[in-house]
Amino acid sequence: MTPTYYLLLSALLFTIGAVGVLVRRNAVVVFMCVELMLNAVNLSLVTFGRINGEIDGQVMAFFVMVVAAAEVVVGLAIIMAIFRTRRSASIDDTNLLKY
Amino acid sequence: MLNPFLAQQGGAIETPQIDYAAILPILIVLGAACVGVLLEAFLPKHQRWPVQVGLTLLTIVAAGVALGAYVGDAPEQGITTLSGTVAVDAPALFLWGTLLALALGAVLLIADRSVEPGGAFVAQAGISPGTVQDRAQVSSTGMQTEVFPLTLFALGGMMTFTAANDLLTMFIALEVLSLPLYLMCGLARRRRLISQEAAVKYFLLGAFASAFFLYGIAMLYGYAGSVRLADIAAATAGTDRSDTLLFAGFGLLMVGLLFKGSVGPFHTWTPDVYQGAPTPITAFMAACTKVAAFGALLRVLFVAFESTSWEWRGVLWAVAIISMAVGAILGLTQTDVKRMIAYSSIAHAGFLLVGTMAITDEGLSGTLFYLLAYGFTTLAAFGVISLVRDASGEATHLSAWAGLSKRSPLLAAVFTFLLLALAGIPLTSGFVGKFVVFSAALSDGMAPLVVIALVFSAVAAFFYLRVVVLMYFSEPAPEGPTVSVPGAFTTAAITLGVVVTLLLGVLPAFALDWAGAGGFALSS
Amino acid sequence: MLLSQATGGAALAQEGAGPGLDMYLPLVILFALALGFALFSVLLGPLVGPSRFNKAKLSAYECGIEPSPQPVVGGGRMPVAYYVTAMLFILFDIEMVFLFPYAVSADALGLWGVAAITLFIATFFIADIYVWRRGGLDWN
Repeated sequence: MTPTYYLLLSALLFTIGAVGVLVRRNAVVVFMCVELMLNAVNLSLVTFGRINGEIDGQVMAFFVMVVAAAEVVVGLAIIMAIFRTRRSASIDDTNLLKY
Repeated sequence: MLNPFLAQQGGAIETPQIDYAAILPILIVLGAACVGVLLEAFLPKHQRWPVQVGLTLLTIVAAGVALGAYVGDAPEQGITTLSGTVAVDAPALFLWGTLLALALGAVLLIADRSVEPGGAFVAQAGISPGTVQDRAQVSSTGMQTEVFPLTLFALGGMMTFTAANDLLTMFIALEVLSLPLYLMCGLARRRRLISQEAAVKYFLLGAFASAFFLYGIAMLYGYAGSVRLADIAAATAGTDRSDTLLFAGFGLLMVGLLFKGSVGPFHTWTPDVYQGAPTPITAFMAACTKVAAFGALLRVLFVAFESTSWEWRGVLWAVAIISMAVGAILGLTQTDVKRMIAYSSIAHAGFLLVGTMAITDEGLSGTLFYLLAYGFTTLAAFGVISLVRDASGEATHLSAWAGLSKRSPLLAAVFTFLLLALAGIPLTSGFVGKFVVFSAALSDGMAPLVVIALVFSAVAAFFYLRVVVLMYFSEPAPEGPTVSVPGAFTTAAITLGVVVTLLLGVLPAFALDWAGAGGFALSS
Repeated sequence: MLLSQATGGAALAQEGAGPGLDMYLPLVILFALALGFALFSVLLGPLVGPSRFNKAKLSAYECGIEPSPQPVVGGGRMPVAYYVTAMLFILFDIEMVFLFPYAVSADALGLWGVAAITLFIATFFIADIYVWRRGGLDWN
């Protein structure tokens, strides 16, 4: 089992997340796609750590998890605030700012 | 495979050496931010505002004093501390000084309550816009004083961002500076829907960009086996590694950094967020985030990717041209003054990138000087914008600015001066900034790019002058906006910005010397 | 499958018999402590806490919110307080992420490690104090 497969899986997950951010319309789902991207990065970090034979990659994955959690807290608070006003979490409805 | 955690249990892990004197400014700012949160928790409502304002201003001054005390006897080639994760060298010290001075001005704007009773921030962010309670709180004089600790957290993140010597530290600092900004964008007292919308947009796009930044880090870790900038530089010297990982990592990393600097094709959030956020926060973002983002960009390019500059320079050429074109051309079509300054900031990001790409001492000092000059000018410009108001709050539509010189000659003169500085007219800091940046690019063999940049500065000058003409040669609308008489705080912030803009234009030598005091610390 | 596992376990136990057995003493103590803590928590609640009954407490998954069908009041959405609690949970979750690696190498890190992790926890609790003082822990 070569580590390359894990890297490919990670790239695939990252791409799914990125495409999800671009095509989905619900703010919460968009946000979950970003989380998917971060976790795909975690997989890459751990795999590279294994390839390099050190634990730095795992330690970095910890930090990414922490940052992702902090982002969840801040992001949900913002999305909740706008959801309570508009009764909808669709980012198509947030259209006051246009040029 | 042996469990590395268990393997370490035998011997003691070496504790990192910390040079407390060098990182004292960051420690003061972040420590005071924590104290600010505690004050929020324990103080009764009516005492919060004066105490928080006092604490925040005192903190920034104290951090500045600590910085000044350290600069006096700092080693010339800089030091790295905390196991080499933070580099305190001449560019970092210069950027810290710039950030602290700009943050002082921004905090003065944030704290101002004379222009609008209660300040530019909402009294209770938890109340939904449009409800009965919301209409009641428009006229109340309370505000969410959490803004002050959040500002300090963001400032601490920015200072760490410019000094981060490895990519993981840089990522954490990026989040520490971004998360408070996302929240602060949504706290406007007036036009709350637009403000909340700006917060959502900034948050979603910011999180998207930091995911790219992080994937870049993972790629570079795979390439170099380390995320230290110096180790990546060492790895690029060897040729047996996969270039795919290097360039994929570099590209993804750049997406994250250029997003924060609102450069080129990664700028789409900038006009919306600048327009929707409360104007003092826009001033803080426009001035300080730009400084932090380009500070980090400079360090990454100079320390980690200097030897591969021929491979990536073409890509950044394209990015710089797109950024200048988008900023200058779309800026022409804007009808809202905050959006116009936002597009101006995109164009300036392109000019800054021209200087950043010149991997020479002149490029470094020129870009640092440009950041200092641009920060103060844009800070003062947003300060002026917060003064022109009508019944519904700030009158940011350009038609409201027609004939403003007849209502308030002083304000029109100040804004004209700032616009001329943004356009880069001689005797302002903008001219000196553009001059040093473009001459650095010229001497590094980027003549075609400099010509393109000059063309776009001329195009951009047109939309600044359009506003000047509008203010001086149009008849004022009969029910136009009033110009508020600013209180001490806003006056101080605008004066600070204008004086620095003028001084750097007339006597730039001092700041140029300081900006050119030394290069990045290269030891890891 | 089960059988082989069982015999394997027995073989392992036999190997462990003799001088190596005291290796498992900390494990036994840990089990005892865990059991004691669980019993303590379960028994203390009914003894000292007020006992108020409501329908939700009798349902299969008691987590503070009504199971389906959702309440009509509020448009069938979760109460905001639920999200505040969820955010607090995530914060404590983050704390654990750093406490586990620290605990594993606590010996090697020595006194400096204790100081560092204490500072970390203290900083962390500043956020909790804020939430507590500003009413984030009140359900209503």
